[in-house]
Amino acid sequence: MIEISNLTKTYGAKKALDSLSFTADKGEILGLLGPNGAGKSTTMNIITGYISCTSGIVKIDGYDVLEEPKEVKKRIGYLPEQPPLYTDMVVLDYLRFVYDLKKIKEADKKAHIIEIMKLVGINTVSGRKIANLSKGYKQRVGLAAALLGNPPVLILDEPTVGLDPKQIIEIRSVIKRLGEDRTIILSSHILSEISAVCDRVVIINEGKIVVEDTTDNLMQKYSSGRRLMLRVAGEKERVEEILLNIVGIKSVTYIGSQQEGVDFEVETDIKIEPDFNKQLFFIFAENGMPILMQKEEESSLEDIFIELTNKSDRKNETEEMGGE
Amino acid sequence: MLAVCKREWKSYFTSMLGYVYLTLFLILGALMFFLNNLQGGTASMTGFFGGMISWSIFILPILTMRLFAEERRQKTEQLLLTAPVDIWEIVCGKFLAAVSAYAVGVAVTIVYAVLLAINGSLPIAETISIYIGYLLFCACIISIGTFVSSVTESQVIAAIVTYAVMLVTMFLGNLSQLVPNEILSKALMWISPLDRFSDFTAGVLNAGAVIYYISIIVIFLFLTTRVLEKRRWS
Repeated sequence: MIEISNLTKTYGAKKALDSLSFTADKGEILGLLGPNGAGKSTTMNIITGYISCTSGIVKIDGYDVLEEPKEVKKRIGYLPEQPPLYTDMVVLDYLRFVYDLKKIKEADKKAHIIEIMKLVGINTVSGRKIANLSKGYKQRVGLAAALLGNPPVLILDEPTVGLDPKQIIEIRSVIKRLGEDRTIILSSHILSEISAVCDRVVIINEGKIVVEDTTDNLMQKYSSGRRLMLRVAGEKERVEEILLNIVGIKSVTYIGSQQEGVDFEVETDIKIEPDFNKQLFFIFAENGMPILMQKEEESSLEDIFIELTNKSDRKNETEEMGGE
Repeated sequence: MLAVCKREWKSYFTSMLGYVYLTLFLILGALMFFLNNLQGGTASMTGFFGGMISWSIFILPILTMRLFAEERRQKTEQLLLTAPVDIWEIVCGKFLAAVSAYAVGVAVTIVYAVLLAINGSLPIAETISIYIGYLLFCACIISIGTFVSSVTESQVIAAIVTYAVMLVTMFLGNLSQLVPNEILSKALMWISPLDRFSDFTAGVLNAGAVIYYISIIVIFLFLTTRVLEKRRWS
């Protein structure tokens, strides 16, 4: 549905995007992840035809964005980072205008607008002026405008920014539902959002793709060791010594002492499985030091993101120094 | 195009802008009517429009200053430029909205023409010709204002630059008399929109003048589309 190959965009001497290539299929929610200034919005603006690329190809449903922009734009619903709202208009009038602007040909204009308003939960504010709405409602009006005409592709640039936690959950479930029969590209720097909503993730940093994979695969591949929180009733030095002698333990970090024992963060090379836990239990039992608390902590997408973007920053720095 | 035109037209009259323009236009129109026709004792509208044309240069930027500048500042141009419409449709939609909003004020002046026709001998052909000329002249200024609005993000700058451009063009005729070079002098006279209007006041519907105004409109609307297009590539 969406094919992007070797997308490059330069602003003067600065490369905002550097040979970006990825695809997204029908019924897929693709997360575009990256720190601020990574090139997420630039990519989205190019896909939607708002700005042009310096080189590369963007195809939506087989149509090239540069050669047949109208065909591409017909198939896309776009919610930019700042929803493009005419704040002097009433919600319903605004949606009517967007409907006419997009030249949508639904059988019943009124029923279609009402259906979309219900879907994003703005039917109660349809008669209110956009300027007087809260940020959350403004965001929803922007989403409703993007959904008008039921476009097969949705491009959502940080759709939950500025919303309260309840609204975030609601919008996420709306996006999940929409993603069942559409292709959605969603950008965010909120990692929990990406892992909650997206099937696949493209992490970009400084205009380049750092990694592209499913969220599950990312967790498996890039979880650098497993972490364990451990509280043992015993002396700090003794506990540390025992831990360091266990096969598979990479590092041990002392966190603090409690009244009943000492806390350690343990990082392992191997996956923490029942056998490992049993081994841990018996070793400490033999030494007469009971384990009081044991909590596994898997690396989150956040850790993977930081690790990958840091790695790519270091790589870029090395390349630059090598170039000099 | 129609959607953009409708929205723009409505926004003139849901905000203060349309009413500020109408108030100014109608006050100045009434003043011109009083001075030229009632006090001057003539049924001809030549003097009336002669005065109104100078005022229009100051009133029209009210309608054009925000056309694109505001869209850019509010980032609403993202909606227009990512919709399945051509850029020329957006530009023409906005231009037509400004022209039709201006025409509302001009339409009111028909009341004066009717009053003059009832109470005096209104030269019909001359009046129709003046109306056509005046509307073309105003559409010409609106197209220049539309272009200026597309190159800036600030409404104030858009208005000031349009005033500046119009003031320069207003004095082109006077300037041409000061230029010693005959060819240059004629060229300046030829491109002065104000001097072109004199044909219409004489009751002559000069095809050359009509084509001149339409050409200026087309050129500036085309330049506006180029500005918007170029921004995508920068």
